[in-house]
Amino acid sequence: MARDTTALSRRDVLKTSGAAGVAGLAGLAGCTGGGGGDSEYPALGNYPVEGDEVVFGFNVPQSGSYSQEGADELRGYNLAVEHLNNGGGWVDDWEDLSGEGVLDKTVTAVEGDTATDPDTARQSATRMINRDNAIMITGGSSSGVAIAVQGLCQEEKVLFQCCITHSNDTTGSECVRYSFREMFNAYMTGQALAPVLRDEYGEDLNFYQLYADYSWGQTQQASMEQFFTEVGGWSQIESVPTPLGTSDYSSYLSDVPRDETDVLVLNHYGLDAANSLPQAIEAGLDQDMEIVVPLYNRLMAEAASGSIDGIFGTADWNWQLEDDASQSFVEVYRAEHDRAPSYGARIAYTQTLQYAAAVERAGTFYPPEVIRQLEGHEYSGAGLGEESMRACDHQAQRDVLVMQGASEQEQTEDKLLNIVSQTPRGDIGYACDAGPAAECELGEYGDE
Amino acid sequence: MLLQSEIASILLNGLQQGAIYALLGIGLTIILGTMEFLNLAHGALYLVGAYVGLIVFQETTLSNGFLYSAGITSIGFEGGFLAAIVLVPIVGFGLGLLMERFVAEPFYDRPETDQLLVTFGLALIVEETVKNVIGGNTFQSIAPSTLFGVNVSQPIQLPFVGLFPSWRLLIIVITFLVIGVTYLAIERTDFGLVVQAGTRDSEMVRLLGIKINRSYSLVFALGAALAAFAGLIGASIQTVSPQIGTDQALIPAFLTIVVGGAGSVRGAIAGGMVLGLIISAMTQTYSQWAQIVLYLFVALMLVFRPEGLFGTGEVGE
Repeated sequence: MARDTTALSRRDVLKTSGAAGVAGLAGLAGCTGGGGGDSEYPALGNYPVEGDEVVFGFNVPQSGSYSQEGADELRGYNLAVEHLNNGGGWVDDWEDLSGEGVLDKTVTAVEGDTATDPDTARQSATRMINRDNAIMITGGSSSGVAIAVQGLCQEEKVLFQCCITHSNDTTGSECVRYSFREMFNAYMTGQALAPVLRDEYGEDLNFYQLYADYSWGQTQQASMEQFFTEVGGWSQIESVPTPLGTSDYSSYLSDVPRDETDVLVLNHYGLDAANSLPQAIEAGLDQDMEIVVPLYNRLMAEAASGSIDGIFGTADWNWQLEDDASQSFVEVYRAEHDRAPSYGARIAYTQTLQYAAAVERAGTFYPPEVIRQLEGHEYSGAGLGEESMRACDHQAQRDVLVMQGASEQEQTEDKLLNIVSQTPRGDIGYACDAGPAAECELGEYGDE
Repeated sequence: MLLQSEIASILLNGLQQGAIYALLGIGLTIILGTMEFLNLAHGALYLVGAYVGLIVFQETTLSNGFLYSAGITSIGFEGGFLAAIVLVPIVGFGLGLLMERFVAEPFYDRPETDQLLVTFGLALIVEETVKNVIGGNTFQSIAPSTLFGVNVSQPIQLPFVGLFPSWRLLIIVITFLVIGVTYLAIERTDFGLVVQAGTRDSEMVRLLGIKINRSYSLVFALGAALAAFAGLIGASIQTVSPQIGTDQALIPAFLTIVVGGAGSVRGAIAGGMVLGLIISAMTQTYSQWAQIVLYLFVALMLVFRPEGLFGTGEVGE
C-alpha cells in the first residue's frame, strides 16, 4: 500500500510540475531524479527506476477470443526475463545484453489480462503503470488492444513494445512515439502473398472476402483488395464484415456466389479462423474455389487441423527456419516447454530483449533516450535475418514468410505449416511517405 | 431463382441454428417455469456437454482412442459420435439431479438475486475447472465423417439451395427428433401433466398429494440433459473452448425464452426458430445489422408482449 501512495504522489507531482513548463521541470528534476544510477535526466513516466529491481508489464489476453495466443506470449516473456537475469538464449548472443539484469537491475514482471478487449487492456495497463511502476509495457494480441494501450503509453510516457498486432493502423494512422512494432502488418502480408497467389492460381480472377469487423480486419481487408487487384489483376466481388468472436459462419458462407468466386479470402484470426475455415470446407466451398487465410497462427492451424491442407497465408516467423538465432530460440523454448514455440512467443521474447538492449545502449531507462536507441536501429539475431526498426513509423522492416497448410498426414504437434517462401525485406515495405506510414504522426518524446 | 435459393438457404441455416436454441430454451424454460428458478449455470451444462462429447468422441475413435489401445479396432461403424449421443445426455441428466439437490433446492425460497448469484458462481467454477483440468486449448469440432457407413462429411446437392453440408442437415433432423420426443413427454405423459400443472400452480399440485419434489428433480435433470445435448450438437459444428458456455448457450437461451415465453415448451421451440431465422436472414442480407436487429426484436417483444409468444406470465415473474 505504501508503494501505491509513493507512486501516486510522485506522478501527481510530475503532472503538476508539467504545468510549470518542461524547461523548469528539467532543471528541478536534475536534482531529484537519483536512485537509478543515472540521474542526469528529469523524472518522466516511471523514470527514474528506484531500488534494485525494474518492472516490466506483460499485458496479454488470458481470456477471450485470443487467450491461447496470450498464454504463448507469456511463455516467451517469462523466458526473456529469465535470460535477461541469468543469461541464456539470445542474451548470450546479443552483445548489448549482459545476462545480469538490465543496467544491473534485476528484471521482475507483472502480468495482466486484457480479456482481448481494449478497455480492459487499458485498465490493466494503467494499473501496471500507476501501481506497479512498470517502466515498459508489452503485450496484446488484437490490434484493437495494441492501439488502445499504445495511446495510453504515449500519454503516460511509458514505452510500449507491441506483441501480436497486424493492423496497418498500429504503425500507421494510430502510431505513437512510445510504441515499436517488430511484427509485420497487413500491408506487408498483401505484398508478400499476392505474387505467390498470382503465380499459383493465375490472373484475372474474382475474389470474395469475409473480414473480422475491427481495426485489424478492416485494414487486412483493404490491403488484400489493394494488392490482389494491383498484383494479380483480380477483381473483388464483395467484401463482408463479420463480428469479432463469431462462432457460426454458415450464413455468411451460404452467401458466397459459388459460380462467380475463384478465391475466397477469410480475414479471420485465432478462434474466428478456427471456426470459419473448417465451416467453409464443410460447406464444400473448397470444391468450387480456392480459399486463402492471409494471416496464420498456431491456434487456428491446430483447431482447423485437416482443413488447412494446401491453404496459403503468411506468418511472422516459424520454428522450422534454419538460421542460428531461430534454432537457438527453439532449443531453449523446447527445453522449457517441451514443444516448439509459436511466433507469438518469438515476438514476445524479441520485443522484451529489444527494449532491454536499447536501455543498455542508452545507459539509462530515461524513455526519450531509449526511444532514440530503438529508432533506426539495425539488428539481426532475431530469427529473420537483417532487420531495422524504422525511425519514421517505428515499424520493423523485415522479411515476411509465406506459408502453406500441411496435409493431415504430414501434420505433427509442432509441424502444421510449411514455409513456401521467405520474402526479403527489400521486396516489401513502403517509403515513409507512402502506405500506412504516410498517415503516421509519432508525437512527442517528452523531453522537447 | 436466385431469390428462391437465398430464401431456401436462409430457412435451412435458420432451422439449424434455431433447433439448437430451442433445445437450450426448452431446458431453461421448464426449470424456470416449474420451479421459478433462474439457472445461469445453464450455459455451463452446455459446456459440459460439449467437453464430454469431445472426450467420448476422441476416446472411442477407433484410430487412436481408448478403445483402440484396448485392442478393439472395429465395431462395425465409427461409433464415437453415436456413443456421445447416448452418453452426453446421461451425464447431463446426472449432473442435473445433483445440481437440483445441492444447488437449486436450498435456494428455491430465496430471492431471485440469490439464485442468480449462486448459479452464476457455479457457471464460473465449471468454466475455470475445465480450464484447469483440460486446459484453455481450443479443440476442433467433432462431427463424424461417417455415420452407419454413410459419408456425412461431404456437402450434398439440395434443390433450390445448392450444396449444403450434409452433417448440418442431419443435425436438423436429430435435434427436431429430440425436441419432438421432449414435447410429447411433456404434453402427453403423466409426468408432463405434473410438470405443466407445476408451472401454473405448484401449491395446488402439492395439495393434490403429488410428490412434486421428485418431479422437480426430474424436470431439472431433463433440462440439464437437453442443455448438455445441445452442447454436443454445438461441438459438432464449432470449435470447443471454455468460453462457449456463455457466448453460445446462456445468452441465446435467455433470448429464446424471452421471445417464446417463460414456462412454455411450445414457446421455447417457436422462440428458438424465430431467433434462428432472424439471425440467418439478417446475416445473409445485411450482416452488419444482424446483432442490432436481433436485440431490437427481443427488446420490442419485452415492450409489447412481455409474456412472450406462448407465455402466461412475464419472464422471471
